[in-house]
Amino acid sequence: GVMEAVELRVGFGGAGRMAGGLARGLLRAGKVPASSILASAPSDKNLDAWRESGCRTTHCNLEVLQESTLVFLATKPHVLPGVLQEIRPAVGPHHVVVSLVAGVTLQTLQRLLPAGTKVLRLMPNLPCVVQAGAMVFARGSGAGDGEAALLKSLLSSCGLCEEVPESYINIHTGLSGSGVAYVYLFAEALAEGAVKMGMPGGLASRIAAQTLLGAAKMMLETGEHPAKLRGDVCTPGGTTIHALHQLEKGALRATVMNAVEAATNRACDMAED
Amino acid sequence: SSPAPELPTVSGLRKMGVNFTVSNKDTVKSSDVLFLAVKPPIIPFILEEVGPDIEARHIVVSCAAGVTISSIEKKLSAFCPTPKVIRCMTNTPVIVREGATVYATGTHADVEDGKLLEQLMASVGFCTEVEEDLIDAVTGLSGSGPAYAFTALDALADGGVKMGLPRRLAVRLGAQALLGAAKMLLESEQHPGQLKDNVCSPGGATIHALHFLESGGFRSLLINAVEASCIRTRELQHLADQEKISPAAIKKTLLDKVKLESPSLSVASASKVSLFTNKS
Repeated sequence: GVMEAVELRVGFGGAGRMAGGLARGLLRAGKVPASSILASAPSDKNLDAWRESGCRTTHCNLEVLQESTLVFLATKPHVLPGVLQEIRPAVGPHHVVVSLVAGVTLQTLQRLLPAGTKVLRLMPNLPCVVQAGAMVFARGSGAGDGEAALLKSLLSSCGLCEEVPESYINIHTGLSGSGVAYVYLFAEALAEGAVKMGMPGGLASRIAAQTLLGAAKMMLETGEHPAKLRGDVCTPGGTTIHALHQLEKGALRATVMNAVEAATNRACDMAED
Repeated sequence: SSPAPELPTVSGLRKMGVNFTVSNKDTVKSSDVLFLAVKPPIIPFILEEVGPDIEARHIVVSCAAGVTISSIEKKLSAFCPTPKVIRCMTNTPVIVREGATVYATGTHADVEDGKLLEQLMASVGFCTEVEEDLIDAVTGLSGSGPAYAFTALDALADGGVKMGLPRRLAVRLGAQALLGAAKMLLESEQHPGQLKDNVCSPGGATIHALHFLESGGFRSLLINAVEASCIRTRELQHLADQEKISPAAIKKTLLDKVKLESPSLSVASASKVSLFTNKS
């Protein structure tokens, strides 16, 4: 069944930005007490921030397996095989292993861990740090409904969390993992346009961000099609439709589709490396 | 009526049983609703010609692109104190009773007059009243719209032929696809964006094709087209207001013919063929 949050001991193998973001989200939402979180990393550099939050830290990956039931693997891709070999002896049937490592398939993970291990693969995005992330996960053959429900329940504290077939994970990278960067680019350009028209940069930047936030919130809360929401903003002959025409002339839609496609394809290529 | 009875459109009308005359004046005298279906630069001349015969009962309907109600009222007021003028913009698919028509009523046209026109035009498609200042935009969208559609259909058929379809079948299927899509949209509450999504299965053929359309700036091309047609209509209106007509707009042969029949008139022929010549 689903583990009680109180009994849950969460471990992180690797303590980089993504792991930190997830941990911070869990802590902020009060899902797991800091004392139940243990993170390992080769150096102290990343671990200081964890200790400041009240989490426990170590340099030993094995200790993470021994102390935790739910283990997030968040190393760099080339480091992971070595880490898996290292922790394999300590992995048991009570463990739930969740890999955040880009490009490493469930097949590979299951091959390098004991048969029947409950393995899941998670692709988050950076805004998990502020509890507004978009995450997808896929389950391996050893993971059941209970593990999926646990993960979904925990991670919903960090944003949107959906179970998907593994084949969607690279698409999620192209759409939302990398997608965050597209939004930053767009926000920067919006602000620059405003600066050109005479607004100070700091103010323009804050307004640009709030505009994106507000539009996204309306999409999520109304559930309406974005084309309809766009139409609602366009008064006949008004400012908005004039501006949208410029965006269409620049083939913005196709360019964005190209970006998602390129990132997805790159994720697929990197996975095969 | 038309001073050029040899026009192929004239025999078409006669076959339908429509009464025909070479005299514009006769047409006016025996009509209550008068459609002026001449090229826009000719409107001022035809108004001068038929002005004296316009009576209070007449409803003068102009389909000429870019010709304002006020310009027509101004011309007619020399002859009739309160001329009833309605301006309309329609399109060629009235031929198959799927036209798109808008109209704006002039100063002296009553609500019933507008409703009468609306009834007439609704029998050949969609018809609604609008403010006059929107008519140029309507011209750009649905006035010229069928031409955009024909162009698209020609190209779609080419695509079909390229991929192996016989031409006739390709044309038939392309037209049916657009007809069906338009019908779905008109009968649906949904946004066209949503209807589009409904056709696009993930990773499928359609979304791949749409990406090509977006890359080519398909949407902006259509926006550009509507804008260009609307702007050109306004330019033509401006030219008409200044009554600057290029001599090329008036065929010399017709000019001479009219001069023979009405020596007092300086120029212009007029054909009141409303259904078959609708070029603007």
